[in-house]
Amino acid sequence: MADDGKCRRFERLIVPHLDAAYDLARWLTRDALAAEEIVQEAYLRAYRFFDSFHGEEGRAWVLAIVRNTCFSMLDKEPPAGRFETFDEIAHSGAFDPMPSAEDAALARESAAQVRDAVAALPLEFRETVVLRELHGLSYREIAVVTDAPIGTVMSRLARGRLLLAKALGGPPDQDKE
Amino acid sequence: MDCARTRQLAQAYVDRELDVASSLALEEHLAACGDCRAHHEALRRVCAAVSSNIGFEPAPAGLRQRIAKEVCAQARCEPAWWQRPAAWLAAPAALLLAFATLFAVLGYQQLAGAGEERIVYHINESTNPATALRNLANHIESSPDLKAVVVAHNKGVDFLLAGARDAESGELFESGVAQLRARGVDFRVCGNTLARRAIDPRQVIPEARLVPSGIAEIGRLQTREHYAYMRL
Repeated sequence: MADDGKCRRFERLIVPHLDAAYDLARWLTRDALAAEEIVQEAYLRAYRFFDSFHGEEGRAWVLAIVRNTCFSMLDKEPPAGRFETFDEIAHSGAFDPMPSAEDAALARESAAQVRDAVAALPLEFRETVVLRELHGLSYREIAVVTDAPIGTVMSRLARGRLLLAKALGGPPDQDKE
Repeated sequence: MDCARTRQLAQAYVDRELDVASSLALEEHLAACGDCRAHHEALRRVCAAVSSNIGFEPAPAGLRQRIAKEVCAQARCEPAWWQRPAAWLAAPAALLLAFATLFAVLGYQQLAGAGEERIVYHINESTNPATALRNLANHIESSPDLKAVVVAHNKGVDFLLAGARDAESGELFESGVAQLRARGVDFRVCGNTLARRAIDPRQVIPEARLVPSGIAEIGRLQTREHYAYMRL
């Protein structure tokens, strides 16, 4: 009986987040085929560890497993979630002035250009921006997924957006039409 | 609230993570301060540019099925409850066994998405891509649950390359493809074709992904994943 219940609970709480899992893996690896392998492995791990999950909201839990699986399969160190105080964040450049609305007419705003700009972000900024803007996770959920304090989530988000504003507001890319 | 504090809190405000009292104070400051308003607008634009231009990438249908299969295999590996002697003593076994089987079958079907309409569309040199995209959109309109995979091969890959435009209307194909992608259509490009025609794989738009061989992919989808074949 336990197994059947487990299977159904997994189906209800974890399976619906498969698209989110795949999307996150794609952004982390920038490789569609690697993303499929990672998500498949992550879902098997999730099922194996599912007994230890007691909540009702499976998204952040399974995305954290996807992220860990990404780093372990790619044999990479995840970005460390260092605790930063608000003052440190404020002095880190995270709240530097954005390019003003007129300067940043976001000259390059087509889907492909925005996607390239996000894909070019350093990993810790990229994952945070993607979790927030595409997946709509709260700061607290992003902190769970990326195993970082909320302050770090906020500063990564701010710095990531600043980099995006600069990338998209800059002079048009010669390669693009 | 002063300018420095406003800049610090602007992001949390945009992300709707700021408490009501601070939000009100921040709005009051924005109404009075042009500089902070410009900063705030710039931040908003960046957020909007990202969230409105980047679609969510749905998982390929094949992945869902592979996971369903593996998870079910793993679930079966563990001793099923009815195989434990205590269960036989505790309850009318046959009835419970029947229920368990039923649940397992229903569970598997839901997980594997059985019974859905699956079509693989073949696009090659004889296809007009604009017509194909239109037909595909119509098909999805009438069958919203359709699992559609488009496999492009030979000259058929051209419309999935960056900057490709419809010869008649002059419109970029990418936006039409992105719309279908957002509705779950999976575009796959033949890697052999790219190699043979010396096309850099980076030219393929991000909405589509590479498969080693278009023909093998169509064969695999038909035989292994029970897709019906359609030439567009």
